[in-house]
Amino acid sequence: MNNTLSSIKSFYHKLGSFPWFYKISGKFIPVAFILGFSIFFLGIIWGIYFSPTDATQGEIYRIIYLHVPAASVAQSVYFAMAIAGFVYVVWKMKMAGLFIFAMAPIGASFTVLALISGAIWGQPTWGTWWIWDARLTSTLVLLLFYLVIIGLYSSFDNKKSADQAVSILTMVGAINLPIIKKSVDWWNTLHQPATIKVFSESSIANEMLYPLLICIFSFYILVFLFGLMAMRAEIAKRELNKSWFKNLILGND
Amino acid sequence: MNFIKTFFSREILVYSKKSSNIISPIVFFLICITFFPLAVSNDPIQLSRLAPGLIWICILLSGMLSIQTIFKEDFDDGSLDLFYAKDFSILQIILVKIIVNWIFSALPLIILSSSMVFLLYFPLSNLLNLLSSLLIGTIIISFFGALAGALSLGKNSILASAIMLPLSLPVLILGSSASTYSSENISFFLLLLLSLLFLTIPVISLACMGAIRLHYE
Repeated sequence: MNNTLSSIKSFYHKLGSFPWFYKISGKFIPVAFILGFSIFFLGIIWGIYFSPTDATQGEIYRIIYLHVPAASVAQSVYFAMAIAGFVYVVWKMKMAGLFIFAMAPIGASFTVLALISGAIWGQPTWGTWWIWDARLTSTLVLLLFYLVIIGLYSSFDNKKSADQAVSILTMVGAINLPIIKKSVDWWNTLHQPATIKVFSESSIANEMLYPLLICIFSFYILVFLFGLMAMRAEIAKRELNKSWFKNLILGND
Repeated sequence: MNFIKTFFSREILVYSKKSSNIISPIVFFLICITFFPLAVSNDPIQLSRLAPGLIWICILLSGMLSIQTIFKEDFDDGSLDLFYAKDFSILQIILVKIIVNWIFSALPLIILSSSMVFLLYFPLSNLLNLLSSLLIGTIIISFFGALAGALSLGKNSILASAIMLPLSLPVLILGSSASTYSSENISFFLLLLLSLLFLTIPVISLACMGAIRLHYE
């Protein structure tokens, strides 16, 4: 028990160190790249060519293989950022602030992808590109929060204050988002209810469900990959003049 | 307790020295309200249906303008540095400043908004719901505005608005929904707004303290 606790502690301290993270993440990137893209293509090709046509929506439903993973990732990234914000505010872990900075543009792009693919899906099935329903509105507000975070970050010159400010805002936003979603919820909701349920039978055929799950899984690996790359780039920017970085780049290790 | 009293009277004095603190939100609010009948429609039935939303939007916007500079003067002239260095309680300073700002900028607007019964044909039966939702909602908005102002100290003011507006969305939704019901029984939305207030005060006060502190690290 004591042993695991101390190993968690040492992992935490290592995670907070830029040189350790930079070296170790370099090893993960090729693996995540190959794994992420091959699983992504597997899921997409399965979904587009081999899964059956939907009885009511026809072929257009196949955009689900982009839309659902993107929306899921968009929310999860924000949730992860809020946790990182908490870690930064409480323990002042530099890596957590860097994580928020690196993930915000990625989360914003996936939110845009979810919104656009949703609009393309909604046009033929609902007959409208956009509707002010709970899920769509809260996704739009999620995008606004991402953009505000990026904007707030860029207004600071000092990275440390920027990290602190953005962490506070991310946490407040994380409390606010479910409230916004719930308050829009009392309007009439047009969006179909969630199709994948963890604790009960999913309301989707298995032949469609498996490629969808594969796509969602691949999106998480891809986000992991993009996040690592963005964090490494930011570490390189911040530590450009540190000796460990110079030694690493020039190969004097 | 003594400090709160002194600081409170200091703030009241500072605000009352500048009459624009009271007048400009009122003028802004009235101009905003005037825009809607001219731009949208002057049909009484349509206006009375839109009125709750319009009043809430105008209140939110005028509140946004006055609250986000709440710490600016003290930050610029260095008083905040002194408070910080002298170990005054930042929490008390924040709370007193928000309350005083609310008294000067939001309270007149709430009183004024009862005149919308005439200007926007707001249904008289809903007035109690409108006023009580405004009373609760403007306090929440003030807290969000103070957080936005604290985060963007020394930055441009568009940033503060951009932080504050998405945060205020639930207040806007709940408040305007509450005002569309007649006041015979307490609206469900009003109770939700009240619960939001009790969530907001501790959470945003803490966040606000952190936000001010980060400028002195």
